[in-house]
Amino acid sequence: MRLELGNIDIREIRFAEKSEIKDGVLYVNQEEIVAKVLEDDLIREAHLDITVPGESVRITPVKDVIQPRVKVEGPGGMFPGVIAKVDTVGSGKTNVLRGMAVVTAGRIVGFQEGIIDMSGPGADYTPFSQLNNLVLVMEPKEGIKQHDYERAARLAGLKTAAFIGELAKNITPDETKVYETLTVKEGFEKYPDLPRIGYVLMLQTQGLLHDTYVYGVDAKQTLTTLISPTEIMDGAIISGNCVSACDKNTTYHHQNNPVIEDLFEAHGKTLNFVGVIITNENVYLADKMRSSDWSAKLAEYLSLDGVIVSQEGFGNPDTDLIMNCTKIEKKGIKTVIITDEYAGQDGKSQSLADADPLADAVVTGGNANEVIVLPPMEKIIGTLDFVNKIAGGHDGSLREDGSIEAEIQVITGSTNEMGFNKLSAR
Amino acid sequence: MDFWIVTNNERVREKYATCHIVFVDGTDRDVMVRLRDLVHAGHILLTHPLTGSLKPGETPFRSVLVTDAPTEKVDTFSLQLIETCRLALDKFRIRYEGLSKSTLDDFREVDLSLIDSAIPRAMADRSRGRFE
Repeated sequence: MRLELGNIDIREIRFAEKSEIKDGVLYVNQEEIVAKVLEDDLIREAHLDITVPGESVRITPVKDVIQPRVKVEGPGGMFPGVIAKVDTVGSGKTNVLRGMAVVTAGRIVGFQEGIIDMSGPGADYTPFSQLNNLVLVMEPKEGIKQHDYERAARLAGLKTAAFIGELAKNITPDETKVYETLTVKEGFEKYPDLPRIGYVLMLQTQGLLHDTYVYGVDAKQTLTTLISPTEIMDGAIISGNCVSACDKNTTYHHQNNPVIEDLFEAHGKTLNFVGVIITNENVYLADKMRSSDWSAKLAEYLSLDGVIVSQEGFGNPDTDLIMNCTKIEKKGIKTVIITDEYAGQDGKSQSLADADPLADAVVTGGNANEVIVLPPMEKIIGTLDFVNKIAGGHDGSLREDGSIEAEIQVITGSTNEMGFNKLSAR
Repeated sequence: MDFWIVTNNERVREKYATCHIVFVDGTDRDVMVRLRDLVHAGHILLTHPLTGSLKPGETPFRSVLVTDAPTEKVDTFSLQLIETCRLALDKFRIRYEGLSKSTLDDFREVDLSLIDSAIPRAMADRSRGRFE
């Protein structure tokens, strides 16, 4: 499967009469997008805002972050099974609006988390502070059920991103990159001496505010399976996850998965990137056992020499992580796991809720309990109502001057377990 | 064989009134203690005690499934799991005091949704007469 990604650099977003992309500027007709969002009866009110890296702006509570993309050639459309028809994506040509994102924000439930600061110390912890963001803030109709509104807000974000992506269909990209996955046979023949490496991508799948969808299917109802990495780039996996801001994978993370990016970079040079195994993180323990058995079985079936396993979320997914790791190791396949830590504010506590001696190669996204003070911002997009309720915050975390003392787990993407962060320690 | 729902969430008790409910009139930590006692008595955990990715101390509600008939031997997997989960829980400060009614309702709904995802599985296992 071969996909050509055409990156179109978006330097700026402006409101205008006509929605279009010209010379690296995205012009957006606000009324047009709001009208599309309000087609859903469950959404009472919506408006757009634009944020620029470096300005004094705080967005909260953030639900999802999505990168607008569009299929230019090849089968299928963006977000298959959700926005586009369910055809298999991942081949042909796709245009990407690089340097920008659609951010959905606003109240879903009364304890929501997720902060993006566009400047100050908090900005260093989230990759989304570096983007030009089109923020879609929504308000639900009174009295609707949380499940229904979560779905409406999720779809509104994807619809907006797909609409903006369409504007890039006939634009010549600034840079083109080609990604190709070989069949099992071709890989053996072409790279007989390179180690065969796979990627086990764990998806959070537990219920309201904790779900992920693959081609539109709620992934908690699925068995562990294979997917081409280029399908993921084309929006085959989308996030319905609203909790655990620091270590949930937004749709943007899936579209730009750095593990996949790096494995492609090394493909054919130091390793043979064979493919991606997606597996879920369910509440029922027998599901965890079955899904991790299948991860190990598929890794063996693909004759892998090594596997990278990335987690999503905290707590019970630690058990899935360790099950995946130990079962794959017991097949004689080396593993490296990517997780994050809840080691207490002093960093001295046990980091994970599960462990095993076979998990001897670990990459961490950081300690989510680390305390940070976020200075006041001149402009707030969304609402500060939940800051005292969100994970890592506590009563008094929102100070009178508008600054926030909280753990870094309140920041969207701060300890991402795909390794999608830029801070590191030596 | 059957399963029990150990919960402190009234919404779970109402929705699954036809199931065997062990209602804990207390906090999420009290639910954990009750679970530990049940595991020590030979019950087997069917769902993970750290239910979702809401952090311990953030939500006051917790619902977990166990087998109804105690085995003669303590299930070591369940024992290890409940003890590591209790340790994990103790790392977090309680932040759910003084929440508004509507926020508490949201937390009840999320807890219900998490256990909703497991109950069809448990019912299927019950009907074939075997929990793994």
